[in-house]
Amino acid sequence: MNRRIRNLGAAFIVMYAVLFAQLNRVQFVQADDYKTHEGNVRPQLRAFGQERGDIVTADGVVAAFSVPVEAGEIEFRRDYPTGDRYAHIVGYQSFNQGAFGLERQYNDQLAGARLDQQFDSLKDLFVDRDTTGTVVMTLRDDIQQAAAAALGERNGSVVAVDPRTGEVLAMWTYPSFDPNLLSGLDGPAVNAAYQTLLNDPENPLLAKSFREVFFPGSTFKVVTAASALESGDITLTEPVWPDSSGYEPLPAGSLIRNFGGSTCGGDLMLALQRSCNATFAEIGAEWLGPDAMIRTAENFGFNADPVIDLPDAARSQFPTDYGAYIADLDAYQPEGSPPLINGDTPIHENSAILAQAAIGQNDVKATPLQMAIVAAAIANDGLMMRPHVVAEVQSADGDVYDTVEPSLWRVAMSPGVASELQRAMVNVAENGTAGGMQVGGLTVGGKTGTAQLGTTPASSHAWVVGFAGPPGMPAEIAVAVLVEAQPGASEQTGGTVAAPIAQAVFEAAFAASGN
Amino acid sequence: MTATARRPAVRPQIAAVRPRRVELGLIALIAIVVVSAYGLASLGESASVPADIGPFLAWMLGLFFFVHLAVRRFAAAADPVLLPMALLLNGIGYVMIARLGEDVGGGLAGLQSVWTAVGIAAFVATLILVPRVRELAQYRYLLGVGGLVLLALPLLPIGVEIRGARIWVSIGPVNFQPGEFAKIALALFFASYLVDAHELIKNRIELRDLAPIGAAWAASVGVMVLERDLGSSMLVFALFVVMMWVATERTLFVGLGVALFAAAGVVAFQLFAHVERRIDAWLDPWADPQDTGFQIIQATYSMAEGGLTGTGLGRGEPDRVPVAESDFIFSAIGEELGLAGTTAILMAFLIVIGSGLRIAIRATRPFEKLLAVGLTTLLGFQAFIIMGGVVRLVPLTGVTLPFVSYGGSALVSNYIVLALLMRLSHEQRVVSPSSSGTSR
Repeated sequence: MNRRIRNLGAAFIVMYAVLFAQLNRVQFVQADDYKTHEGNVRPQLRAFGQERGDIVTADGVVAAFSVPVEAGEIEFRRDYPTGDRYAHIVGYQSFNQGAFGLERQYNDQLAGARLDQQFDSLKDLFVDRDTTGTVVMTLRDDIQQAAAAALGERNGSVVAVDPRTGEVLAMWTYPSFDPNLLSGLDGPAVNAAYQTLLNDPENPLLAKSFREVFFPGSTFKVVTAASALESGDITLTEPVWPDSSGYEPLPAGSLIRNFGGSTCGGDLMLALQRSCNATFAEIGAEWLGPDAMIRTAENFGFNADPVIDLPDAARSQFPTDYGAYIADLDAYQPEGSPPLINGDTPIHENSAILAQAAIGQNDVKATPLQMAIVAAAIANDGLMMRPHVVAEVQSADGDVYDTVEPSLWRVAMSPGVASELQRAMVNVAENGTAGGMQVGGLTVGGKTGTAQLGTTPASSHAWVVGFAGPPGMPAEIAVAVLVEAQPGASEQTGGTVAAPIAQAVFEAAFAASGN
Repeated sequence: MTATARRPAVRPQIAAVRPRRVELGLIALIAIVVVSAYGLASLGESASVPADIGPFLAWMLGLFFFVHLAVRRFAAAADPVLLPMALLLNGIGYVMIARLGEDVGGGLAGLQSVWTAVGIAAFVATLILVPRVRELAQYRYLLGVGGLVLLALPLLPIGVEIRGARIWVSIGPVNFQPGEFAKIALALFFASYLVDAHELIKNRIELRDLAPIGAAWAASVGVMVLERDLGSSMLVFALFVVMMWVATERTLFVGLGVALFAAAGVVAFQLFAHVERRIDAWLDPWADPQDTGFQIIQATYSMAEGGLTGTGLGRGEPDRVPVAESDFIFSAIGEELGLAGTTAILMAFLIVIGSGLRIAIRATRPFEKLLAVGLTTLLGFQAFIIMGGVVRLVPLTGVTLPFVSYGGSALVSNYIVLALLMRLSHEQRVVSPSSSGTSR
């Protein structure tokens, strides 16, 4: 019988070994899958069973905090005293709809779940300490309020960043929504509110400032101008393009007209001041060619995954397919004429697309955030800083756990080109279409854009990008303003509609410092 | 049993003190573990030391020391590991039940501490009342019939149905599960029957000799059908197959047993909705997450939440799993003590199984050998099917985790099993020097 008893022992060992293997599967190998499994309400119940830290603006305005409630296992709910003003950034923490925005991105820090928050010292094992973290945003409430007030009830976005650090100072999209509608504890009411927001044709849940792309129109000409200056063949004063009413692309394509049927030309400085479509289309297609234009656009962050510390940011696009190479520009010159300085610029089958892309049309699309960091890179001597909305995470006692240090994302252009462009954009603000964004006592640079969307009925997005700073000093703020095409407002241009919003933002930004 | 009480207990002889010293050391360690766990569970929940830590400490230490002294007096040569393992499992289970406290309805901790005392009393009583296990063999048919009667008791009007299974009996204020005691009676019956029959069965198989396996099979299927008690029927069936196999040394009986059980299972699956539900919930609980799959899914989330080291005692939500205090106490341990804690539970049971089988191997006579195998199988297999059920390795059958789960009947019967194993161990150690390894 002893042999059978040993066999029985072996059988028990095998059974328990299989049990141990299965335990490892459930508690280790697949534990994370189960923890985030759809239908597992433990994470939500945990989130709503404890206090979370505040989310505050750089100037100390509380945008989110926890309110104690007594409703079974739910002990706290979130309150958003600033209503819709930070909805797209702070997001919401909803029992029914999950978390969104910073509430999701910084969930662990807000809940105090990270190890360094849990155990500051050994004595914390024995005392009930508030371990929640406070998330401090880079956004300033005064600028955010000014942006929201200036845009008013027009669909659009305003993004302001500090060019020197990448700190986002304001980021507003209208329409927005009130996150308090989603953070309540009345499940059916929350679901109904969410459905209403979801079905709204203007999509207030969508943060168009960084999650939606638009034709940038003429504001993109600053990128084309940067590429032109980088090429070395073009300066702000040389060459001078003769006035014309439009540009006819090579080898074939429909005529690109100037805005409002005007006639324009001149050197790069003047062409930018006049926002001359014919000149920039020709520069893109005949002077720079696809390779240089794609390189510059990508140096500015187009066609790359965005780097902001918020989820679901959209990629800005610059087209890269221009068909097959056909010939150099020389091939299109009359027999016997002297060679052109830009004569070896390659001409592709679809160079007409490049001509349109150079003025921000065709498939060029950008988020307002992207255009803000384009302006910021120009203002910051070509260095494009990584945009971010969180400055630091603090403990309940005010100690700093994490600081977001400024970091370089990419080098958009050389410092020389950047300083030329700064001069050109200051000129546009002083003498050109961007006059509406001037603020007394500041050096302001800008570029307007009016992206035409169609003719029946005529409608257009009004844009402005720019920067401002004390005279002789580096710019302290860069902005992008987009006012979306409105029904019944066919004539809106960047200069008339968007520039005053930028002006209001600049005024708010410098009001505190007495400028 | 009482008939044997008039015989004087076997006095310990040489080398009998050493195992008790080992046992005392282990019990002291386990007392520290259990008392610390009790304190930590309270700290984890409310960040304060429990007010009743003093009385609890005194109660635990008192019980532990008392049972140790009883073993010194009545089974001084017995295996030194079995009792500490049982106390560890019982202690961890008690801390968990106390920690679940109000979350699962409250008041259970007080009852469980009473049941622990009753279990330990039953343990000591068994040591006193059964000085020689062999003498129980003469009550073979009484035990066999008694076991079947106990198994069938809930079918009488005094039976109560709880959560779909009719395994409880209620007489006045006392509720208990007679099935827990039936298992012991049946193990004794099987051991004594097989000692007489095993020579016959070993040499040639006659239908007449197969009658007991038929009866056992019929009884377990009968229980499954009438009481909807999958766990106990599986356990009793496995008990008999294992004992038959060890007694006859014929693998045929394992094959035959498995085939019969499979046949019964298929029939049950097709005839009874509750069996089909259990199988469905085992194969794909997520097909019906709010109903049939709810319990097992919640247990899976609970154990996954625990991960490697657990949420910490008092810091999880193990009560989210229905009946966390009994059938699902293993998932509660998995959540708050993690894989480390569940592995410790597994190891404790493996040590119990190892000690039990070592007692079986050392036993010199077939009855003692078979009984040790049967008692060990009862503990080891029952622990396996409930832990395996909770982690979805095998279909879920509602049985308790021995020594750990809340429940008086289970605690008392498991302590009786433990006492019988220790009595067997004591007998062989005490008698073997003088009898030189052969029967007296």
